[in-house]
Amino acid sequence: MAENLRVVGDTLPGADLNAPLLEVEDLRVEFKVRGKRIPTVRGVSFTLEQGKTLAIVGESGSGKSVTSQAVMGILDSPPGYVTGGEVRLRGVDLLAQDEESRRTVRANHIAIVFQDALSALNPLWSVGFQIGELFRVHRGTSRADAKRRAIELLDQVGIPDAKNRVGHYPHQFSGGMRQRVMIAMALALDPEVLIADEPTTALDVTVQAQIMRLLKQIQDERNMGLILITHDLGVVADVADDVAVMYAGEIVERASIHDAFKRPAHPYTKALLRAIPRVDTVGRELEVIPGLPPNPAALPSGCPFHPRCWAVDPERCATEAPPYEEVTDDHRSLCHFAKEVYRDER
Amino acid sequence: MGRYVIRRLLQALLTLGVALFLLHYMMALSVQIRGNPALLFFGGKRTPDPAMLAQVERLYGLDNKCYERPGDPCLTPFVERLQDYASGDFGTTLSGNRDVGELLAVYIPNTLRLFMFSTVTLVILAMLLGTWAARHRGRVIDHSVRGTTILIDSVPVFLILLAYTYIIAVPLTQWARGIWGSESFMGQLFRPNYSPDYPWTTMIVPGIILGTVGLATLTRLVRASQLENLGSDFVRTAKAKGLKKARITVVHVVRNSMIPIITGIGYLFAFMLSGAVLTEGVMGIPGMGRMIFQGVQRQEVNLVIVGLTVSAVVVVLVSLAVDLLYAALDPRIRYE
Repeated sequence: MAENLRVVGDTLPGADLNAPLLEVEDLRVEFKVRGKRIPTVRGVSFTLEQGKTLAIVGESGSGKSVTSQAVMGILDSPPGYVTGGEVRLRGVDLLAQDEESRRTVRANHIAIVFQDALSALNPLWSVGFQIGELFRVHRGTSRADAKRRAIELLDQVGIPDAKNRVGHYPHQFSGGMRQRVMIAMALALDPEVLIADEPTTALDVTVQAQIMRLLKQIQDERNMGLILITHDLGVVADVADDVAVMYAGEIVERASIHDAFKRPAHPYTKALLRAIPRVDTVGRELEVIPGLPPNPAALPSGCPFHPRCWAVDPERCATEAPPYEEVTDDHRSLCHFAKEVYRDER
Repeated sequence: MGRYVIRRLLQALLTLGVALFLLHYMMALSVQIRGNPALLFFGGKRTPDPAMLAQVERLYGLDNKCYERPGDPCLTPFVERLQDYASGDFGTTLSGNRDVGELLAVYIPNTLRLFMFSTVTLVILAMLLGTWAARHRGRVIDHSVRGTTILIDSVPVFLILLAYTYIIAVPLTQWARGIWGSESFMGQLFRPNYSPDYPWTTMIVPGIILGTVGLATLTRLVRASQLENLGSDFVRTAKAKGLKKARITVVHVVRNSMIPIITGIGYLFAFMLSGAVLTEGVMGIPGMGRMIFQGVQRQEVNLVIVGLTVSAVVVVLVSLAVDLLYAALDPRIRYE
């Protein structure tokens, strides 16, 4: 842990070691498509502490991947632009930095694991080259040393026969092994924050569990902050400390994992939980959330969830955007009826 | 890898064999249907003495009886001819009785030089323009690059050549000679015709003009494949790895974009062979294209067949090189 702190201070000028590891405040992202500005992330705030896991849950199109790319600074511009907010790493606002400083933050301090490792790895280079590239570019390591480090990393993420596999190409690995390669690559420079963007979505169920276990184990060993992005609440249940539920570019509920599962305070979270298949409800029809996620270019008025909400007040929800409601300390919900939903009165 | 190379080599040999046989069969059919080209030796209208005709037929390998049976594939003369080629005997011309092997020794290097300049021009222009257009996708630069290359490509190459030789070359040459002298590089560069005294310098302009054939195609190919890779997941990964833009382009975009581009170059190379006939004709370059053209004009069957054989060999070799480059670039092909 002490070592982790030292690294941040050394390579991130102005870092305040008492500040939270990663703080995102009122982050806003817009996509400009054919002259139209489409808000995709609309004021997202969260805090990640060292050694903790934050799960960001939401349907596709809710803005969770865009949020992670904005934090990394790898949004494709055009069409995506960060239009407001702050992303502070140990107190340093990354959005205010120039591109060169941001570049060194990537992989050194914040690393990301993408969903589909087959397309996220370059098919024409060996995995050893792609991992070693990090050491060579950021640390000036020699080719031979970089390869040695790559073998160590592959070994750490549980790839058997790493010495041999280091020269293999992505297409020669199975899906689970490829995802391990991605993880090894993300860990290479020992970042303080790891973002895993749907790391298990493209994998078999049995392999999913292995990858989740690996991420958890690595996080414990290195005392990293982990952001786990997923559309599957079930995946995060036993690894996350906190949950942020995203809907239409906003965090609609933010709570500890225990609270979110036991006493959700937002109708959307509640609906999501009911949609998880469970052994004790076998035989009953699975509940689904009616309707489709809204089109970010034409959001519903008032609360964007109101057309699909089961607890809706037709007057208020359709006209008035809800404020954040604190149901308890550290448990916020973006709903007019947060307290009622929390107390199960609505 | 070894198996891939062997398979491609066998395929190349098979392709070449089929191409040469088809060439031979077309020639045999035309002799069988249109009549004996040996008669031309006697000036067409005259009826020659049978003994003399037989001698001429033997001289040009037309004495086989199969040439009198329409549809006969004439395998024996085919095999004999291949054996002759293998031993370096390419026969002689009807007019002048010149050794075709000696002609090839002059013509092939000239055409290769021409192609070298054309290929370099084509690749450099297409790579630069395609990359430029991809960088400014959807904006004015992108549209003007695509429009201009289409415009250049749609003007027939002989028109550019004629316009160059008749309108531009002479005043440009006079101007250059006035400044640098007639023996200088610049004094020779813009000449309207090829000169054997300056085999490299006077080949540059014809090479560049021939290099515009297929420019639009290759530019679009470069643009499309770069756009595809720029938006790919592994380029996003490369960004997330904190790599510099230049490194991402060189290591993660250019190499991945090379595969369709190499395919295009291989295809355009075969296309350029037909352009060579025009270029060499207009610029007076003694090369393979002009040789084939004159062979057709003078009904020199042997010259045409030898010329087409050489171009078949070249096309097959280029496709083989393309296939091997694929393997060198892409491990997925190598370990197939």
